[in-house]
Amino acid sequence: MKLTEIPVDGIPYDHLRIEKIPVTPAFAPRDPELLPASSRVLVVNPDRICMPIGAMWAVLGIHRAIPFVQGAQGCTTYARYTFSRIFKEPATIATASFHEDAAVFGGRMNLVEGLRNLVVRYWPEVIGVVTTCSSEIMGDDMTSFIGEARMKLQAEIGPERTEQIAIVPINTPSFAGSHVEGYDRAAKAFVQSLATDRDAPTNRVNIIPGLFYPGDIREIKHILQEMGIESTVLFDISDTLDAPLEPPQSIPYYPPGGTHVAEIKGMANAAATFALQLDAGGSGARYLERKFGVPAVVGPVPVGVVATDTLLQNLGKATGCATSPALRAERGRLVDAMADTFHHTMMKRVAVFGDPDYVSGITRFVCELGMTPVAVSAGTESKNFAAAVETVFSEYQSLFLDPPKVFNGSDLFEFEEYLKTLPRLDLIIGNSKGVDIARELEVPIVRAGFPIYDRFGYQKRPIVGYRGAELFLYEIANAVLDHRYPDDRTQQL
Amino acid sequence: MVVKGRGHQVLPDCSRPTLPGVVSERACVFYGARWMLAAVPDVIHLVHGPVGCAYYGRTVRRKSYRLLSTGLDERDIVFGAGDKLFDAIMEAAARYPEARAVLVYATCAVGLTGEDILRACKRAAGKIGRKVVPVNSPGFCGQSQAAGHDIAAAMLLEHFIGTGGKRELIDNAVNILGEFDIQGDLNEIEDLLSQLGLKVNCAFSGRASTSAMADAHRVRLNIIHCRRTGQTLADAMRERFGTPYLKVSFFGPAETTSAIKVIGKFFGVARVEEFISRANQKAESEAAPFLQQLAGKRVALFFGASRIGSMAKVFGELGMEVVMAGSQYGCRGDYQEAEAKVANGAVLIDDAHDKELAELMRKQRPHLLVGGTKEKYLAHKMGVPFLVFPQEMGPFAGFRGFVNLARQTAGLVSGPVWRLAHG
Repeated sequence: MKLTEIPVDGIPYDHLRIEKIPVTPAFAPRDPELLPASSRVLVVNPDRICMPIGAMWAVLGIHRAIPFVQGAQGCTTYARYTFSRIFKEPATIATASFHEDAAVFGGRMNLVEGLRNLVVRYWPEVIGVVTTCSSEIMGDDMTSFIGEARMKLQAEIGPERTEQIAIVPINTPSFAGSHVEGYDRAAKAFVQSLATDRDAPTNRVNIIPGLFYPGDIREIKHILQEMGIESTVLFDISDTLDAPLEPPQSIPYYPPGGTHVAEIKGMANAAATFALQLDAGGSGARYLERKFGVPAVVGPVPVGVVATDTLLQNLGKATGCATSPALRAERGRLVDAMADTFHHTMMKRVAVFGDPDYVSGITRFVCELGMTPVAVSAGTESKNFAAAVETVFSEYQSLFLDPPKVFNGSDLFEFEEYLKTLPRLDLIIGNSKGVDIARELEVPIVRAGFPIYDRFGYQKRPIVGYRGAELFLYEIANAVLDHRYPDDRTQQL
Repeated sequence: MVVKGRGHQVLPDCSRPTLPGVVSERACVFYGARWMLAAVPDVIHLVHGPVGCAYYGRTVRRKSYRLLSTGLDERDIVFGAGDKLFDAIMEAAARYPEARAVLVYATCAVGLTGEDILRACKRAAGKIGRKVVPVNSPGFCGQSQAAGHDIAAAMLLEHFIGTGGKRELIDNAVNILGEFDIQGDLNEIEDLLSQLGLKVNCAFSGRASTSAMADAHRVRLNIIHCRRTGQTLADAMRERFGTPYLKVSFFGPAETTSAIKVIGKFFGVARVEEFISRANQKAESEAAPFLQQLAGKRVALFFGASRIGSMAKVFGELGMEVVMAGSQYGCRGDYQEAEAKVANGAVLIDDAHDKELAELMRKQRPHLLVGGTKEKYLAHKMGVPFLVFPQEMGPFAGFRGFVNLARQTAGLVSGPVWRLAHG
């Protein structure tokens, strides 16, 4: 759909028909002083969510685990909506149901009663207790509350069955950080409370994938399998959030797969920990390194040729396993595809936005494709991101006349306003929140990152590894072609 | 949870707080307030709270709206954010000068720190010369989103409705209370009303600009479509302005017919019968092939309480048997209405959680579950087709909406995928 006029703010596109006259006919130019996110207090179109959802994402990647959200019902319901919309899967998340009384007396009763109610109804193996802004402001003492809940459970269901349930508190105050840090904190909380002994070192490796989708995790597993490396993927959502439809199911419904508690316990014995995203999961890897001397390899985000090469080399170094001919062939096919599509990707001006690790990974890949990033934006502020994109830009200096604009911890409003000032833009790469921007600028968008809820299949299609990069490349090249030659009578390859 | 029997009427326990620790389908008060207010177009919506609330609150009924936020961080929680709110309102007003007012939503975080939002709002209102109205919607201050609907309705009544001068009646104008214009429902209703020569001044809140709301007291009749949100508004407007109201439903041909008749009677419009019978015949013949596929199929309902009664009747008209009617939140009146329209042996349930829903799907064996997106994928895993309501595609209101509903329902129930899944 081509818009012939600027939409009235606040009215969705399909309502434009109803009220076409702007409420104030006089055009009001935007105050340029108010554009940079750093110079204003207002947040418009944020590209980050609060911490708890990142922790919930993590807990959903554990076998028979249920996140328990110590907050009001909305903190759970909104997150369940978000997961359902992204993954098209049910997300079982329990709520502490804060009402007025909890605000007055604190969340102790809600947690103690809540954990009991959750256990007797669902019999989970793991409960991740996720805090929110409410419980953090009230100062709920999670450790002592959980201790009390355990005593109550012991009295009701016996000490043995209580022992079998791991309860892990994750402190995620919603008013700090973002969903990326929420995931990071969950990674640290889980290894801290479950991986307690390095008693029998093995040659396994730990993988903390970060906020990658099931398709990406499957691709990582494929690489590990090809190299003959045994691994523990912490927060393995590849089956739990991409489960087959095979009715009838048992009740309560638990999806198959997920990381088992025994595996997490064994993480202290591993040969190395690979955190694929620097900001989401890095803390878990570093904790294991500090505490047990398990070497931590944090990053680079394995999107594209060089980053995947580095991952394979690092894996080889840590385990002594070599890459397989099949993987080399995959690399060859990716490079072949890059050569074949190069004429259509080269010098295309592209803007990338999303979570810091997605953006830094994708930025490197688009540079490998000969594209010119003109603006990159991380919704969550991150030092790693700033360093990573600077490295990429210095390596690929020949692609730029002007240095690309870097937004670190900005909102999409600022990003959009900047893109509008550019003389030319060919492509936007980012999550579903950028669709409106792309439509307004009449630029194609390639969806990648978190969250994607307005199209099917992106959760299953990897962008990591050689094969993932190849699929991602086709997505990019076809978006360019679709936009440029919408009608195949005008041009054929 | 109760099962309908042949004896006297039994109703489920309702209006109770959710048990902590279950996978509740309920949402929070902020969610309810957004549900009510998101569609108000010409005001600035500003969330005073952490960034997450604004991120989530942008999407209402699968539509994205502009939503600003103060994005509270740790400093603001510790030292207070009254000044920050003031600055944010000023910035927002500078950026969107066309907006007629500012709505400031309170969230859990500011509810707990005890922020004086009113003071910041008053100060800002004095500066920008427009209304700056707090919506007191911290997530925890009620049992479910229903409390948020009420808070939002009270706010509209206090600050926006009927503020447009003397009550000079506008000819043939009506308000629709509790109509959110989901997928063109409002257009359908408007078409029907235009047959009676009526025009819609304002639909709360599918189409409620501040100027329309200011004139809301000048209509001759209020039409309540969704009781939950409409009744409060209607009662207050009758008390304050003397505007009479009628409670109707536009779902299903029978209800639509009677709705048009009573509204026509109120306005003294002749020749209603002919139009109705024509529309009825058309809908009947168009829906007939779908009704054939639906005859005797079982359906389970789980959505906003005030619609379950009217929707239960519509599914009855489709020839389906309603084997379960439930809601995240509902009052006795809602369940009384629903009880009268479901089959014997049907289950009525309030605030069912995820596991109860799964169990009921097994026990009641519906051919279709109707509810919200959260429940959709669980139903799929259980092998039950699912219809999202409020709907995702096309209107369900009016005669054409009924045909659309019949078409979608028949399509879902007879979908080949379910045979393959069970195979």
